[in-house]
Parts: sequence; C-alpha cells; structure tokens
Amino acid sequence: MTDTLLPPLLSARKVRKSFGGVEVLKGISLEVAAGQVMCLLGPSGSGKSTFLRCINHLERIDGGRISVDGELIGYAARHGRIFEMNRREVARQRGGIGMVFQRFNLFPHMTALENITAAPIGVRGLLKPAALARGRELLDRVGLADLAQSYPAQLSGGQQQRVAIARALAMDPKLLLFDEPTSALDPELVGDVLDVMRGLAADGMTMVVVTHEIGFARGAADEVVFMDGGVVVESGPPASVLDQPQNPRTKAFLDSVM
Amino acid sequence: MPNLPFARPGPGAPPVAAVPVGNDADVRDPDDIDAVPLRHPWRWVIAAALLVVFAAVAVSLWQNDNVNHPTISEFIFDRRILDGVVLTLVLTIVSMAVSTVLAVLLAVMRLSNNPVMNALSWLYIWAFRGTPLLIQIVFWGYLGLLYAQITLGIPFTDFSLFSVDTNTLIPAFTAGLLALTLNQAAYSAEIVRAGMLSVDEGQYEAAYSVGMSPTFTLFKVVLPQAMRVIIPPMGNETISMLKNTSLLSVIAVLEVYTVATQISSQNLRQVELLVVVSCWYLFLTSVLSIPQFYLERHYGRGNARTLPPTPLARVWAVLRPAPRPTIERADAP
Repeated sequence: MTDTLLPPLLSARKVRKSFGGVEVLKGISLEVAAGQVMCLLGPSGSGKSTFLRCINHLERIDGGRISVDGELIGYAARHGRIFEMNRREVARQRGGIGMVFQRFNLFPHMTALENITAAPIGVRGLLKPAALARGRELLDRVGLADLAQSYPAQLSGGQQQRVAIARALAMDPKLLLFDEPTSALDPELVGDVLDVMRGLAADGMTMVVVTHEIGFARGAADEVVFMDGGVVVESGPPASVLDQPQNPRTKAFLDSVM
Repeated sequence: MPNLPFARPGPGAPPVAAVPVGNDADVRDPDDIDAVPLRHPWRWVIAAALLVVFAAVAVSLWQNDNVNHPTISEFIFDRRILDGVVLTLVLTIVSMAVSTVLAVLLAVMRLSNNPVMNALSWLYIWAFRGTPLLIQIVFWGYLGLLYAQITLGIPFTDFSLFSVDTNTLIPAFTAGLLALTLNQAAYSAEIVRAGMLSVDEGQYEAAYSVGMSPTFTLFKVVLPQAMRVIIPPMGNETISMLKNTSLLSVIAVLEVYTVATQISSQNLRQVELLVVVSCWYLFLTSVLSIPQFYLERHYGRGNARTLPPTPLARVWAVLRPAPRPTIERADAP
C-alpha cells in the first residue's frame, strides 16, 4: 500500500471522537489506497463502527481530519481557511461513499429495485429508464435478478443485505464502507453476502470492512487493522496480523474469536 | 356398474380408490381428526336478547307521539339542509387538507435542530392546543372588534402597503375555516411528529449514506413510512372535525347544524331536526371511513407480506367462492 505513487483514496489522521465525555476514538490514523480492501477487527466498543461512520460524516469528528480522494470530509478549504460544509455539500460527498449496514436498513416501502434506483433518480437526476436498467444490472450482479419487484419484508436477511450492497453500488461510490454486514444474518446466509463482497474486492472496489469474519479478512483483505479502546493496536497484511500477532491484545482477541 | 363420477358405491361394492385432483388438504385422511367444533350457545342467547332490546327501543321511538315522523322525512332532503351538508363537507375537507400541510411543517420544525424553528413550533402548539376551540372560533369571528383594519406594512413605521376592513377580509365562513384549520394543525402536528418518530433511525442513516439531502429523505423515506402510523389517528381527527364544524353555529356559518337550528326556531320541531342532522353526520362519518381504508392499504404496502383484501374483493370472494376440487373416481369398468 505504501509503494503506490498515487495519494491514498482514504486518509485519516489523528481522528478523535467523544460521546458525552467518553472518548471512543483517541487519534486514529490510517490510509487506504485505491483498489485496496481494509478489514477493521476488534472487540465490541473498540470504536470500529464509530470510525466507519465518521468516514461518511454520519458522525462529526471532534479532532483530526479525514479525507477521501483528496477531499476533506465535512469541511471545505476556501481562501486559506477551513469552513464547515452545509448539508447539501455533505450530501454530495456522501453520494460518493457507499455504506452497508449491519441491520440492512432497506427502505421497507420500496421494492428491491426502487431501493436501488431512488437515490440515482432523486439525487443524481438519472433518467428513470437508465436508472432501472442499471438497477437490474446491479441486482443481477448480486444474484437477485428475479426479485426486483419484491419488498424487503418478502426477502431473507441475506437477500436484503445483497440488495443493500446493490443500493450502495448504484451511486458508483469511490469507496464502500461495510459495518458488520454479516453479523445480523443466519449462518447459512453469510456465505452469499461474503461471496458478493469478494467479487467486489476482485473487481478493484476500495473497501473498508468492519467484520468478525476472520476467514474473509484473511482471504480478501490487503490490510488488517486491529483496534481496541479507540486506538489502532496493530496493522499490517493479514498473514502477519492474523497469524503472527505481535501485540498481546491482538493475540487475546484472535484466540477468543477463532 | 356405469362410470358415474359421483355415484356412491352400493353395499357390497368393492372399495374404490379416490384420486384427488387439486388440493391434497381437502382429501380426508383416515388419520385426520373428525371433531365436532366447539359450540357457543351463549352467543346466540345474548344476540337474541340484544335484538329484543334494540327492537323495543326502535318501536318506542317510532311510536313516540312527541316525534313527528313526517317532519323528519320532509326536512332530510330539504334544499337548505342539503346546502348545509355541502358546506359542512367543504369545511371538513378544506380545513383537514390545509391543517395537515401545516401540521407536517410544524412537526418538521419541532424535530429540527434549528432552535428558532423548534421554539416557534412549540409556541404555536402550546397556544392553539391550550385554548378551547369554541373560544378560538369566536375570536376569529369577532376579530373586527379587536382590529377594525388589517394593514400590511413595515412594523413601527407609517409605511403601509394596503389596509382593509377586517370584516370584509374575513367573513364568517373564512373565520370559521381559519379557526378550525389553525386549531387542527396543532393537534395534527403532534400526530405527524409521533409518526416521524416511529421511523427507525437507520432509515435516516441509509438515506443520508446514499447522498439524499434531509428534505429529500423527509419526503421520500420518512413521511411515506410515517403515514402508516399517522393515518388511523388522522381518520379520528377527520371525524372529530366533521362534528366540530357544528361549533361554527356560534358565528352563524351556515353549515348543517346552524341551518337545522334556524329551521327549528321557526317551526319549533327541535327533536326532528336534530334527528335529521344526526342522520347526516352518521352518513358522512361512514362515507369518510372509506378513503381511510384505501389510504391505509396504500401506505401499508411492503410492511405486510400480503395486503388485506379490499371490501370489493371480499364481496367477490363470498359471491364466487374458489371452486372446490372435484374428486374423480376411478371405477373399474
């Protein structure tokens, strides 16, 4: 990752975030190059999900800076000063960063296809026929071509999560964030979702994945970051972090989940 | 033996195999329990007793000499009464429509992060929900006593764009509509707010994560889901509104109740005319529950796996039941 000449797609420097006096992120610094997959591991409460939510400004950071594709998230530099962005600019930035949630969060009043096309039509101003064609293509890509007209309540958890991935892809994001995408799924449904994610990784999508699936991290990640207590404890290629962890906390965590 | 499809085998006839066509569940299996359903004799007794009571009340009303039945039938379709019914309906529909738009605005203001909007919404709801509707109606009806002229200009200066007589600008009908609408908006705002609060936080996050603005999220994601929670109490409010229009009689708006009291003050048939208006109110409230059903059905899509059948579909199902599977017999020739 460090040997590339291009600037990193995602760059976080000394990111801090507190909730009601409790500091959950204590200066997170990391970089993800374009086309790379980073997996964030760590015990619950370690700040992984909070960090992920800071990347697309669902949470406002208290210190440090995050930039995606060279653009500061939530702030704009003008005339040598930094200004907080208004809601319209924040929305535009978020459109370029896809997010997949643990609880899917599909829009229940829309069909699978409508879930995917709502933002391209309403936000990007894509014409309906083009958006529908692209939506069907994405559904086909996640293996759900024949469920376009189903409502989320009629789909299994694994199918819902794959629709959610297609929804995120519909905005052609530069970066995809996954917040424990398989944690709410029955064990037999996890595989389908992970297969779709592996396919995306193979196609060169830049991804940051918070997960407990060590197998996925080992197979698909270019870099694994272990977080605990709001700091990055250890990071590196999966082979070194997962198989030869240096830090005792990493060792203890990996022993407990494997 | 001829090959008759439904002929019962006579005594001593060889057992025949039934070949089911269609639903297997309709074919009786020897292992199935053939039970007598639980009987409910008391339901019949109570129903019969209630029928007797209702019949007695109906007969006593019918035979009451203090009620002049021809008067009821004379006035139920009276021109003035019909005009009043139309005005009542117009007042109900217009005030509900306008107040709902206002209510969405107030609810969004109340839930926004903007402290000014928040306080303004709170103040509005506090004022309009905290005073009796009757007093608000009188207030708007007699606004001319408070401000004889209404002037549009710049405050604390002599500059004015125009100035009109209050009673010209706000006749009784407008005052009534204004009172009902502004009062209802305060109540509806709380219903809309409850509906919006019922939408999961994850829906906002999902909408924001695909780049939707807060306004777009409100109209495309939050309100359509909130509608499911909003519609039943709004149905209630609509029915209340229909009946509350009768309060406008205090400022002489010619809705159906005002008309009825005017007629009965001349012919002194108070009871008969109250029966006439009651019939109309009952009829209108019944009619108003029809759009509610279809609205609920529309906004319920996606929430249940199958939508409830429409009344028409129900009637259809009773009139033309699904064909029973026929059982063909394979008799030996």
